[in-house]
Amino acid sequence: MIGRLLGGAQPSDRHELVVDRIACAGRGVCAQILPGIELDDWGYPIIHDAVPDPDDAHAAVVMCPSRALRWVERTR
Amino acid sequence: MTALTELVREAGLAGRGGGSFSTATKLELAQQHRADLIINACDGEVDARKDGWVIEHHLMDVLGAAAQLTTGRVRIAAQRDSVTIARLQAACVDTLAVPRHYVSSEESSLVRLAHGGPARPLTRYRPITAGGRSETGRRLRPTLVLNAETVWRIQQIRDHGAAWFRSHGTEREPGPRLVTMVRGVARPGVYEAAAGMTFGHLGALAGGFTAPVGAFWLGGLGGGFVAAADAPVARWSRDGLRRWGIGPGAGTIDVIRAGDDPWLTVTAALDYAAGESAGQCGPCMFGIPALFDDVAALRRSPDEEAVERLYRRLGQLPGRGACHYPDGIAGFVRSALRTFGEVPQAVPARRHRHLSVIGPQS
Repeated sequence: MIGRLLGGAQPSDRHELVVDRIACAGRGVCAQILPGIELDDWGYPIIHDAVPDPDDAHAAVVMCPSRALRWVERTR
Repeated sequence: MTALTELVREAGLAGRGGGSFSTATKLELAQQHRADLIINACDGEVDARKDGWVIEHHLMDVLGAAAQLTTGRVRIAAQRDSVTIARLQAACVDTLAVPRHYVSSEESSLVRLAHGGPARPLTRYRPITAGGRSETGRRLRPTLVLNAETVWRIQQIRDHGAAWFRSHGTEREPGPRLVTMVRGVARPGVYEAAAGMTFGHLGALAGGFTAPVGAFWLGGLGGGFVAAADAPVARWSRDGLRRWGIGPGAGTIDVIRAGDDPWLTVTAALDYAAGESAGQCGPCMFGIPALFDDVAALRRSPDEEAVERLYRRLGQLPGRGACHYPDGIAGFVRSALRTFGEVPQAVPARRHRHLSVIGPQS
């Protein structure tokens, strides 16, 4: 519940993790926490696994210094 | 759904700005949200002229359709200090003056600009037609953004009916469509054309090709190339160009003459593209200049490491910006590689020419 209030926990299984590309400053914290995120040549995240382990995902979302990770309802 | 939306759906009109999205679907969403309307006449794609042409010749039709599309505010967006904006201001039309940058005329850039923000794309999680929020959390009114040619086509459909519209073009891509013939033809300019035409037919509209053609460059930075050898079997439509991984895009057709070095055109375009990123998203602001550097390095000397790096980076751009600009540039470079050789060719020794200047036109 607290995770949801902070925006860190996955709201439902229809949601996936996305990066707000404008907000992202390429600090790379998410890639340190989540094995499903790789950094590109310039240090910006490439998400391979958009539905990662819930605890790790929560940590990555709340620890992002740019608050650029968020859950968005899947469109596909 | 209103009768007009129904009619537009029956006609099968798709947006003429390059995205080819169903106009009726957009209109329906706009009605649900009582959206304002911005008509895009920026001609933001490299060498595009057609929307300025629509404003010059069919402004009354555009305004007539606009009045049917919304009860909200209607503005026409055009590039700052352009002939088009001067023409609109002289006609006392509510205008939106847009900076002369490639991504400034992108849909969400225009909406942000209309709300007093910078003309740069916005991160969206739903269509901007339904409204959104600026990066600072400010509410942005639902806004329908349609290309000027698209709005003109809506008026034509009102005047002549869906059956008339469908009597042009192809079954899947119906209706007349404007083409901008850029260079290499007797009379460069904007012409009425339609999906499914051959390159020979398109060239004939503009008085024929003035020199043997090496390749066609379609759709500017969001497009790509078709080699002249392939042109006889290609058709000017999404279906007819799918094999080459491109489409008609914003409707420009340029000619690279036989015997000219195509990589001169590609590198000049990439050089321009690198400076046109809005500088908001990392993969775009670093990725596009990096592509230019990789191609330029390969032009100086062959280097296997650089080839590998170029291909890896091409894979790292698509889908990784707030708008589709990096996707378009990656597609453009891929198309060049497919058409002109898997590796950018090094410049032959002692050959020196000035790069042609590429940029938005007035």
